Amino acid sequence: MKLFQGTIRALHQMLVDREISSVELTESVLGQIDAVGRETHAYLAVTRDLALHQARAADARIREGDRVRPLTGIPIAIKDVLCVEGVPATAGSRILEGFVPPYSATVVERLATEGAVFLGKTNCDEFAMGSSNENSGYRPVHNPWDLDRVPGGSSGGSAAAVASGEAVAALGSDTGGSIRQPAALTGTVGMKPTYGRVSRYGLIAFASSLDQVGPITRDVADCAVLLQAIAGHDARDSTSSPRPVPDYLAGLDGGVHGMRLGVPKEYFVSGMEPEVERAVRSAIEVYQRLGATIEEVSLPHSDVALPAYYIIAPAEASSNLARYDGARYGVQAGGGRNVIEEYELTRQQGFGAEVKRRIMLGTYALSSGYYDAFYLKAQKVRTLIIEDFQRAFEQVDALLGATSPTVAFPLGAKTQDPVAMYLNDIITIPANLGNVCGISVPCGLANGLPIGLQVLAPGYREDVALRVAQAFESATEFNRARSPLVGSAA
Amino acid sequence: MPENEPELSSDEVRHVARLARLGITPEEVTRFRDQLRNILHAIEALNRADTSRVPATAHPLEQRNVMREDERQPSLSIEAALQNAPSVEDGYFKVKAIQE
Amino acid sequence: MIATKYEVVVGLEVHAQIKTESKMFCGCSTDYLAAAPNANTCPVCLGLPGSLPVINRKAVEATIRTALALHCEIPEFSKFDRKNYFYPDLPKGYQISQYDLPFSRNGYLEFDVKGEPGRCGITRVHLEEDTGKLLHAGAIEQAQSSLINLNRAGVPLMEIVSEPDLRTADEAREYVMRLRAILQYIGVNDGNMESGQLRCDANVSLRPVGAKELGTKVEVKNMNSFRAIHRAILYEIVRQTEVLDAAGRLAQETRGWNDARGLTVSQRSKELAEDYRYFPEPDLPPLEVSRAWVGQIKAGLPELPAARRDRLVADFGLSAYDASVLTSSKPMAEYFEETVRLGAPAKTAANWILGDFSRFLNADHKEIQDSAIQPAHLQQLIALVETSAISGKMAKQTFDEMYRAADPGPALDAAKRSRQISGDAELEAIVDQVIAQNEKSVADFKGGKQQALGFLVGQAMKLSKGRANPERLNALLRAKIQ
Repeated sequence: MKLFQGTIRALHQMLVDREISSVELTESVLGQIDAVGRETHAYLAVTRDLALHQARAADARIREGDRVRPLTGIPIAIKDVLCVEGVPATAGSRILEGFVPPYSATVVERLATEGAVFLGKTNCDEFAMGSSNENSGYRPVHNPWDLDRVPGGSSGGSAAAVASGEAVAALGSDTGGSIRQPAALTGTVGMKPTYGRVSRYGLIAFASSLDQVGPITRDVADCAVLLQAIAGHDARDSTSSPRPVPDYLAGLDGGVHGMRLGVPKEYFVSGMEPEVERAVRSAIEVYQRLGATIEEVSLPHSDVALPAYYIIAPAEASSNLARYDGARYGVQAGGGRNVIEEYELTRQQGFGAEVKRRIMLGTYALSSGYYDAFYLKAQKVRTLIIEDFQRAFEQVDALLGATSPTVAFPLGAKTQDPVAMYLNDIITIPANLGNVCGISVPCGLANGLPIGLQVLAPGYREDVALRVAQAFESATEFNRARSPLVGSAA
Repeated sequence: MPENEPELSSDEVRHVARLARLGITPEEVTRFRDQLRNILHAIEALNRADTSRVPATAHPLEQRNVMREDERQPSLSIEAALQNAPSVEDGYFKVKAIQE
Repeated sequence: MIATKYEVVVGLEVHAQIKTESKMFCGCSTDYLAAAPNANTCPVCLGLPGSLPVINRKAVEATIRTALALHCEIPEFSKFDRKNYFYPDLPKGYQISQYDLPFSRNGYLEFDVKGEPGRCGITRVHLEEDTGKLLHAGAIEQAQSSLINLNRAGVPLMEIVSEPDLRTADEAREYVMRLRAILQYIGVNDGNMESGQLRCDANVSLRPVGAKELGTKVEVKNMNSFRAIHRAILYEIVRQTEVLDAAGRLAQETRGWNDARGLTVSQRSKELAEDYRYFPEPDLPPLEVSRAWVGQIKAGLPELPAARRDRLVADFGLSAYDASVLTSSKPMAEYFEETVRLGAPAKTAANWILGDFSRFLNADHKEIQDSAIQPAHLQQLIALVETSAISGKMAKQTFDEMYRAADPGPALDAAKRSRQISGDAELEAIVDQVIAQNEKSVADFKGGKQQALGFLVGQAMKLSKGRANPERLNALLRAKIQ
């Protein structure tokens, strides 16, 4: 097995057994980035020197037995919406070109404390707005399984990096499915934790009441390890939860025997590809064989989650993105006759079409005369969605469904039709609005393209989502499939 | 989405762009108008939900009264504060004149 | 004179910075006046991507404290909202403020105008963050660029909104003076208007006497002193009266007070009102203001100006007017009480503080706490007069010297040393000399012109360099001439 193909847990064992060094491991991954990076465009910036510096420090820690943690020496990619002090951060936008944050996100600090190795900043849809990564202000990411197809988005770079061996694991962010959907489309494991479980401090905001940072990994156990490292209260994020963080590995292999698993009938949406539906139905049968009780449940307001999301997220985004005026950071257009014109030019030139569309939509939804009909209505719908989940979770322990109604689609297929693009997130969005947690795990291939199974669990029950996902992964072979860019797994 | 409202007009698109400080070309006005009309049309589905008995959820949070004590923390150095600014003068951020 | 066919309606919006160590939503120092440009900034108050606000508890408590002192209701649920607008002094493109659920509502403030009691409703007191400061090279209209200093950005700021209950410029000024005193008393703001710690905007409108509906409202900004508030409102009343008389219709607009020119200038038309697109701040969970918390804050409230005024009247026999003026500034009231505690008679101390002392301070635009003269100095000076050691006139001279000097000590010591000339032998020599040099006046007095004696006393005082005991001098002169 090539080192860059390994999982966090396997590599960690090899590191502590001194079979390999972190420098060797890091060089292996950097070599893979050199080899395939031009094809995937998974990274916007590779921090080679920083990575090797951190790898040497990790090796010293391991050598001296000094604070050796599960992530010590493990090369990780970071979505470019997270700030790393001294490393350019663009959020995939031209408007932030050249911005070097003078501080680090809390999750980045936590990984640094663990002794993780930072490979670089991964490509993403501009300000995390997109489902295909084609909204990157720099270049689209290509799916390692088929370079003519999208990797999903917005954390497409992080997912592609993990799927192509350009990272052992990665951090993404999920506002409406931006971790789970690309994980599904790239055959990786991706988790959106409950809102409040992971600090947002240093996460460049898209929609503040929905954004959440989470892991993208090769398997469920890695997902648990990475979540363990980043979860927990942060005094700098007033929306982070003070609830204690359980040991996610402890109950991971508990199985699903005797568990009640719900299948929301609304999640088999129209337009779902038959291969996707087939794979998900087979997965449900697997759970039945493993001793779980399967129950059909209803989340009756699922159909209004998407429209509610497309009010709330753009409204918050229109405000969050007001700070990009070119005065304190980023790019200044120049040529304006006064400061207002300058702002307008800067934002016209710096933002891409989708970001502008959402700023316009959100500004409109908040503007005088429309607030009640749009924003307030959407917030009330949000309450209904929360209640849907509450009722469902009185009945069952977790919910099962597809992550994305389709497998990866060809680049350019949906770029001209925003509404069609928005439908990609139709099954992932309710979890963000309803504030539950969710994980996507590979559950098959359709014509060589990965399919994702989504497991949703109640708020702060990431342990349940992980355990349910782990049961499936252990019982099936789907997780062994690797993208052609990685080569076959050992 | 208020029912029976006329469709989004070009003037409204220009007004919204102005509020959002987004420069916009005449072609973009038309394109955004048509795209936003489609999106707003899709969003009309919201009206299907009966929200008469529920309050709005602004935060999915259980926390209340999250506050810090009034203590000073170190600020950034002036260099760090200004390092990303496209235009600086005498330790200030510099922008074009206000002139309304 | 202003025509009486219109009724003046004034409402005030006062912005008061809250005295805290750190900013509203981050740990940066609030001491922005002394710091180098942009030295007190961090990712949060610079509005850097990814940064998040955390509420300063002391600022919240100061707001509730203020609201309680203004007899406001404190709702049990409150939240912050975003007020969205673009301006170079607003780093995030929105201000974190409070919209529909402020910390307080429905209070009132009592004041008096020349002894007449007045009362103004308080609509609300809410909490927000201050903006940065802009610097322009030259006049704002001509400047090619603006420079931004974000040290002030994020300083906690209360907005105290009054009902449109004020009817005269005098009332408006008294309202702000009384409000300032309350803020000082409860320790949330030092009340310095010139530095911008306390800022006041006025909504001024006129309506026909007897009308119920409000007239067209003009918002007046940039009033940096009590005097400016008074003058600006007077100016607006005259201007609006003239416009209404001539054209019958006023423009709804914002006007800036130009203190040097003594007039208001149109800034922007309100027809193009900004649409602030308020919505709940998603980065901050809401607040539940428990009754226990309110009770705690209430219990910590000190004596307020109205109560102190009543106490000064009751305990020291001051007039209501004197007590009211003395308590209009917390430092002044404390100064008075300390002077009395050291032994000065209350009325005399009040006369000094409200008389010469205030006159000097006003002329210099200073506050009593800025003066080098301490209560102990004033008390000793008063004691010299009380024991007839020096004359009232000498005391005034001495006070003048004490006030001008960086250290009042030497002038006070000189007065103590000088003492009055009361010995008859020394005084007789002076009187003899005056009589010899002013034969005409002596003759006039003898002829029945009483005022001639005053002149002679004055001449004798001059010769004694003001040290002669005036009663003795008078008696001796009369005795010698007659």
